[in-house]
Amino acid sequence: MNYPIWEVKGIGLPWVIGIIAIFHIMISHFAVGGGLYLALAEAKAIKEGRANWFPLLQAHSKFFLVLTGVFGAVSGVGIWFSIGLIQPEATSTLIHNFVFGWAIEWVFFIVELTSAAVYYYTWNRIPAALHLKVGWLYAISSICTLVIINGILTFMLTPGTTWLGVVGSGHESSYFWNAFFNPTYWPSLVLRTLVCISLAGVWALVTYSRLDDDSYGNAKTQLIRWSTKWLAPAFLLMPVTFLWYIMMVPDANKHLLELGMASIGQGSFTQVTRIALLSVMSTSTIAAVAYLFAYKFPKDFSPSHSIAILLLALAATGSTEYAREAIRKPFVIGSHMYSNSVRVRDVAKFNQDGYLTHSMWTPSGPSVSQHELGKAMFRGQCMSCHTENGYRSMKRFLEGRDAKAVGNILSMLRQNKSDSPYHAYMPPLVGKDEEVAALQAFLLSLNQTTSANAVAKR
Amino acid sequence: MSKVYDYLDERLSISELKKFAGKKTVPLHKYSFWYYWGGISLLCFLIQLVTGILLIIYYKPGPDAYNSVRSLTYDVDFGWLIRSAHSWSATIFLVSVFVHMFSVYFMKAYRKPREFGWWSGMALLILGLLFGFSGYLLPMDQLSFVATKVGLAIPENIPLVGHTIANLMRGGLEVSEITVQRFFAWHAVVLPLLYLPLLMFHLFLVQKHGNAIPPSEEDVPMEKRKSIPFFPNFILKDLAMWLVTLNAIALVASLFPPDLGKVTDPLGPAPAGVHPEWYFMSSFETLKLIGKVIPGMLGEAAGITIFTLGLVLWCLVPFFDTSSPKGRNGRYATYFGIFCLGVLLVTTLLGYVAG
Repeated sequence: MNYPIWEVKGIGLPWVIGIIAIFHIMISHFAVGGGLYLALAEAKAIKEGRANWFPLLQAHSKFFLVLTGVFGAVSGVGIWFSIGLIQPEATSTLIHNFVFGWAIEWVFFIVELTSAAVYYYTWNRIPAALHLKVGWLYAISSICTLVIINGILTFMLTPGTTWLGVVGSGHESSYFWNAFFNPTYWPSLVLRTLVCISLAGVWALVTYSRLDDDSYGNAKTQLIRWSTKWLAPAFLLMPVTFLWYIMMVPDANKHLLELGMASIGQGSFTQVTRIALLSVMSTSTIAAVAYLFAYKFPKDFSPSHSIAILLLALAATGSTEYAREAIRKPFVIGSHMYSNSVRVRDVAKFNQDGYLTHSMWTPSGPSVSQHELGKAMFRGQCMSCHTENGYRSMKRFLEGRDAKAVGNILSMLRQNKSDSPYHAYMPPLVGKDEEVAALQAFLLSLNQTTSANAVAKR
Repeated sequence: MSKVYDYLDERLSISELKKFAGKKTVPLHKYSFWYYWGGISLLCFLIQLVTGILLIIYYKPGPDAYNSVRSLTYDVDFGWLIRSAHSWSATIFLVSVFVHMFSVYFMKAYRKPREFGWWSGMALLILGLLFGFSGYLLPMDQLSFVATKVGLAIPENIPLVGHTIANLMRGGLEVSEITVQRFFAWHAVVLPLLYLPLLMFHLFLVQKHGNAIPPSEEDVPMEKRKSIPFFPNFILKDLAMWLVTLNAIALVASLFPPDLGKVTDPLGPAPAGVHPEWYFMSSFETLKLIGKVIPGMLGEAAGITIFTLGLVLWCLVPFFDTSSPKGRNGRYATYFGIFCLGVLLVTTLLGYVAG
């Protein structure tokens, strides 16, 4: 492995990406849907002579500029930092294959951010028709950012047989478009567009909830009702689009969901199924809550109501993104790279030569203790999903198990047979016998007393 | 449809109810958000009622308690979810009851004519805490066993009657299967029988006197005060808030179902990190702190006396802070509320940090 490994105690590595990504998605999807919202709202106001809408749209575009231009941009860079530290191998693969895609993406980002700033600062300063054109420029450039990023995100779940056929040949980037328009590209694009449209409505409700109805005539009522309607397409089309998406997901990944559904009654169903169900529930609840709070009684709509809707949207976004990420297991790039950054094609090599032999940043030499080797194995192969004693704690998981039981688990992971209970969502354990033995000793030491720990270290 | 309505209206006077509900209004101001917390508490209670009835179908109090909970959790379809929803709705119920109590306090909603609403609310809170305490033992695993043992040691220190009360609750000198039987009777029969009529009385008072406005709104002239109809506006908003709460409960109940520990071993050691539930953490930590200043039985008796006095003062606040809009007593009552809230939060946090 070519990169050093970053350690985050407590929440673990997945949640570093998770927390940043969930907030970023809430904001970036709003940026995409919000551009369309502003352009359509302004066009409607001009066409129907609703002059009282303009001050409210101006206020919304200011909120929009701050939220997307500051928090959206900062959290976007945060994702780059975190994936670079947590999954450097996978990030490297994405950069090598999609360098052209990233270049296009950043061009659209620059146009998007610039036009958003121009749009806000030119309210009442340039002719209305020209201002609206700036709005459309913003809307189109932000939609284009989604069109591009969607290709890269969906590639990670379904790289497609063409790209998988050439991977490792050095000609992967020649098959850019095959990888880009992969099997889940279109359903995912429609799904994300629906989310963007509904988030545009949700965030608009946040702006208008702070206004006093008397200040702008009937504008608060009109805009709240109009914004609530932005949730309708997602509510109506999401189930069909979701089924379309699931149809395009490979059978092995679908199996992960089915595995959960089959054992739901006993409560042993997978986390991804639980979260997928929560995603369905929170998404459908948002529409009902928005109808009751906003559409039905727009005059009384207050910040606390809008915060409640926003929190539900956060739960829906968070759970959907979690489910999307988790369904990719045991891979980080479908059928190519496991979630612990081991490439499928390297499994045999690592088993023969040793995993740590190919790890540049692990301690080596005769003075290295078994404990250190075991820890290096843990850091390299387990820590992308587990922690020692925090999120998905190995200490808790292995509590009460003796050396034989831990050995059996590791053996099952190493053999990675298709009927193994771990096969569907855990990558295979790779390495030579002595490396696996070192990992076993390290895992056992997690539940030993301090004195026993000291012995193990020696 | 109208025929059905007429049929029911003739017999149940639905029109009169609608007329009454239509006249009723709810004040609208920047603190209106706090009006929802009573409704959230009610929803959580209803969820506990329904899930509790479902749990009773499989639960066996007495010697089989642990095995029945294990079977319920791992064998019965969706048993884990029902148990988890029951446990989490209890937690959210107590959170919302505390929020409701403090919002009522700081809005001065205990003043005339709402004193009985305040007292009945306090009684409901105490019963709610007893629900929590009695329900905690029912799985009869090692953690609940030890926690109950420690918990029952507190009333034992009440001068004169403490020992008798503790023995009566335990059904003997030690926590055992008999205690589970008794706690189950309290949890599933006695407490609901006390709680339900009191809840009805509390809701009746809320309907009779309506929502109080906070002191800051009292300065606003009557003609400038805003309000919304109770029906349908407030009811539908309450319904939306129920949906939000239901989502929150579903989220935590499905992602973090409660564990079932090892079977009770009366001679075994206490599990590592054993501590009371969060709603008793403040009193537990305060007793510990007082114990450091006054060691021994005297310290525990002093602690219980201070609690009892504090609770009595808290209940009697309507007599101290009467209906005067801006009196000195009103200010003092607010300071007392801030002090109590501060003590509650600080000692709870301290309890978790100090372990």
